[in-house]
Amino acid sequence: MADLLSTAVSGLQAFQRALDTTSQNIANVATEGYSRQRTEITTRPPQPFGNGWVGSGAQVDTITRLYDNLLAAQVQSTNSSFGSADTLATQAARVNNIFADTNTGLSASLQNFTNALQDVANNPSSIPSRQALLSQAQVLNDRFKSYDTQLQQIGSDVEAQIGSEATQINTLGSSIAQLNKQIAAGFAQTGQPPNDLLDQRDKLLDQLSQHIDISLSRQGDGQVNVFVGSGQALVLAGTAAQVTTIADPYNVARHNIGLKSGSATVDITANTTGGTLGGLLDFRGKLLDSARDTLGQLSAGLVEAVNTQHQAGMDLNGALGGALFSIGGVQVQASSSNAGSGAAAVTRTSAGALTGENYILRKTATGWDLRNADTGVAVTLAGAGTVASPFTADGLSIVVSGTASTGDNFLILPTRAAVAGLSVAISDPTKVAAAAPIRTAANPANTGSATISQGSVLDATNPALRSPVTIQFLTASTYSINGAGSFAYTAGGPITANGWQVQIDGTPAVGDQFTVSDNSGGAGDNRNALALASALSQPVLNGGTTSVNDAASQFYGSIGIQTQQAQATRDAQKVVNQDAVSARDSVSGVNLDEEAANMLRYQQAYQAAAQVIRVASTLFDTLISVASRA
Amino acid sequence: MRISTAGLHNLALQGITDRDADLAKTQSQIATGKRIQSPADDPAAATQAVQLDRSLSESQQFGRNADVATNNLSLEEQALADSNDLLTSIRDLAVQANSGALDPGSRQAIATQLQAQLQQLVDLANRKNGNNEYLFSGFATAAQPFIQSAAGVSYVGDQNVRQLQTSQTQHVSVSDSGYSVFVNIDSGNGTFVTAANPANTGSGTIDAGSVTDPTAWVPGTYRLQFTSGTAYQVLDSTNAVVSSGTYTPGNSISFRGIAVNVGGQPATGDEFTVSPSSSQDVFTTVKQLIATVGSSTVTDAQRAQYSTRIAASLQQLDTSLDHVNAVRSSVGARLSTLDQTQSTRQDNEVTLQTSLSGLRDLDIAKAVTQLNLQQVGLQAAQASYARIAQLSLFNYLG
Repeated sequence: MADLLSTAVSGLQAFQRALDTTSQNIANVATEGYSRQRTEITTRPPQPFGNGWVGSGAQVDTITRLYDNLLAAQVQSTNSSFGSADTLATQAARVNNIFADTNTGLSASLQNFTNALQDVANNPSSIPSRQALLSQAQVLNDRFKSYDTQLQQIGSDVEAQIGSEATQINTLGSSIAQLNKQIAAGFAQTGQPPNDLLDQRDKLLDQLSQHIDISLSRQGDGQVNVFVGSGQALVLAGTAAQVTTIADPYNVARHNIGLKSGSATVDITANTTGGTLGGLLDFRGKLLDSARDTLGQLSAGLVEAVNTQHQAGMDLNGALGGALFSIGGVQVQASSSNAGSGAAAVTRTSAGALTGENYILRKTATGWDLRNADTGVAVTLAGAGTVASPFTADGLSIVVSGTASTGDNFLILPTRAAVAGLSVAISDPTKVAAAAPIRTAANPANTGSATISQGSVLDATNPALRSPVTIQFLTASTYSINGAGSFAYTAGGPITANGWQVQIDGTPAVGDQFTVSDNSGGAGDNRNALALASALSQPVLNGGTTSVNDAASQFYGSIGIQTQQAQATRDAQKVVNQDAVSARDSVSGVNLDEEAANMLRYQQAYQAAAQVIRVASTLFDTLISVASRA
Repeated sequence: MRISTAGLHNLALQGITDRDADLAKTQSQIATGKRIQSPADDPAAATQAVQLDRSLSESQQFGRNADVATNNLSLEEQALADSNDLLTSIRDLAVQANSGALDPGSRQAIATQLQAQLQQLVDLANRKNGNNEYLFSGFATAAQPFIQSAAGVSYVGDQNVRQLQTSQTQHVSVSDSGYSVFVNIDSGNGTFVTAANPANTGSGTIDAGSVTDPTAWVPGTYRLQFTSGTAYQVLDSTNAVVSSGTYTPGNSISFRGIAVNVGGQPATGDEFTVSPSSSQDVFTTVKQLIATVGSSTVTDAQRAQYSTRIAASLQQLDTSLDHVNAVRSSVGARLSTLDQTQSTRQDNEVTLQTSLSGLRDLDIAKAVTQLNLQQVGLQAAQASYARIAQLSLFNYLG
């Protein structure tokens, strides 16, 4: 009888524990990171009797947490991929939105500037149309600067976010280390896993994986070690290292990621991938920097094309044109670890030869070495690096000075700061060089039928450019220039002198004269304005293959493509992440219908066990009454 | 597969928010009428649209340029038409003056009229356009191109012409320089100029002559010298005899591929010159005519001179008229080119607008259909979620 009672009581206890667990599951149906638990009930050891082994009831072995490490690892890994793709897509969309308005966009501003030049060509002596041109130049300048400023703003937002990411990663790291300790203590205390602490810790791991890509190693006592970057430990059992932002060696305002363990800090920027932090680094390195560089390259092309032509013209006061735009120079950043006192001065020599890439200039034991900052591919340096013979490479001219130590590095950003220094250089409308500085004429007394072209300027810096020149035909096939020489005449062939070029065509007679002279008073001349108007359609960029107009629309398209790609990746990663979460939840998540069924099952079992106790009690009463009668 | 209760809710919610986002996007497209809201929506089409925008704006600018060109050319065309009228009436006066029956008083009256018309011609050549620029001064549009002095009318403008761009490949000259309209006019018959020596004593006259064989013509100055009343010789600049013959009045004298007609009776030693044609401005032509009309015609020799000079002036006036009308027809050709370009440009702009609209604008009917579809989808998702969310075994316990 005692056995019957004790067996029934063991059942009651086991089912009560099972109901407790069901209740816990139901209570935590909406708790994030909660893994459903199961009461593991087994039979108690049987008692031997002569006629066999008699069971002695049930017992609760443990309460298991239903959690699959593999599925959880998949969730963490897809969290990182999605986190990085989502951040990239969000940030790319910010850049994309800057360029979204096509009515005020770069292409429209460039075209408005060209249209204003055409208006000056229509009426070159009109001050209002020249003023309108300067206004459009200012609008174009403001457009470039507004884009650059907004990109810079996004850049400083990104730097601030990188700092806040580091802080969040550290908070999560130390919480995980703290929980590791409690879990180890819990294990030691009971020998059983502290399920709810494990859930809390694993939830933090999920959160951490949203910020940075992590890999784990689990210890037997439930503790977990967390590694980031290329295997640097962020959490080792109960201790956490610190993720810090360290200044980029070339630019103190730029944050790199360091991992501080003890007193040593390792730079893990290059190996930091995944998660929000990885996404931010990706965005900064691939999209933001290159957008600013391309914008700078575009402005360098614009300014070179416009200024070169403008300087070959003559303004309303009769002076040669000056620069229409000013532009920022090449940014050179010396590494903070440089030991020597060397410096590098870099200037752009040709916008067409610029590649849009950045470079690292390095002092070697034997000289200097230039490499692509992203790919590390060596770039050939011509010249000696001196003022008289500067290094030249990819449209840059580099002069080194001071005493650099071997291993000293300089980061060269050819166009990053170009837009920041952009401005309209003239404010006086009469200084718009709409005219050409020379004009040609045929002597009215000429008896031949030859005609002379209007002429074009090849080299506006030639001091004799505007000096009067007479081309006189000595015979029908030879001519002299200012009475000197005898040159063979080819009809329609170019005649070049003093930095200009003209063509004489037709049949000249002996003694016929043509003159090239200063175009003073040429207020109605619009040749240079027309040439300026076509400057933006001339292929000047990318080795003379792309016009400024084309480059502007290509830039607009490339921003769109990069954003679209980032969004597509984000959408794909989102699905992958959701699938991983569903797979994990199918094991770990609470299902209320299941819990209801379990509750019914355990309730019935509990009632049955209670009924057994009543039977035991009845049996015992029967026995007592029989004994008392006897 | 086991589904967790929280997962079931999350999935349903995710589905609903995704549909919300789609709906919001379609709604924003309909509200703006644009299919492409930012370059990321369709990078290829967006880039193309930006380029088409630029082409359209450029084409519209070319249209404005063409308007300016048309306006300027119309002004020039008017000035040239007026020049034609003036030169025609000057020529009429020259014809009148050529009549031998005129007394000196009538000729003086003609000279006075000619003087007034010369002044009109100068004023016309100094005409300005609406922007206060001289029409016929080349690039030096701020300076008056034709300056009158005792010596005559001199041109101080230059020989250049302003061009405007009216299409990607077309530049149109919006004027002609005073040099090419009024100054650079062939003198004589375009190949050579004839003149009578003022010292001639006979009554011989010479006409403008003509070219019979252009290949035989050697440019140079020749003297047609009468060695007697019936014999002549032609000397070149080195005094070598090029040709000689017997003079018969009314017969032409030919040498080196040209022929001149000498009439009347030249005296022994009379000379006529044949020199290469160069250019002579229209003002000089009129001035010479005025001088001729005012000259005295008492002797036979003077009458012969008068006749030769009037004939030369008439020849020169005809050349000038032809020249001005040639410029006028080139202006007309440019105006008609501008007209053609304009219609091409307008067609092109319509095509560009259509392409742009196709790339960027929203097909409203399609979008509204899609909106309805998305709305139905969202409603279904919401309704099914509301139903499923109520299902629970717990509902049946108790």
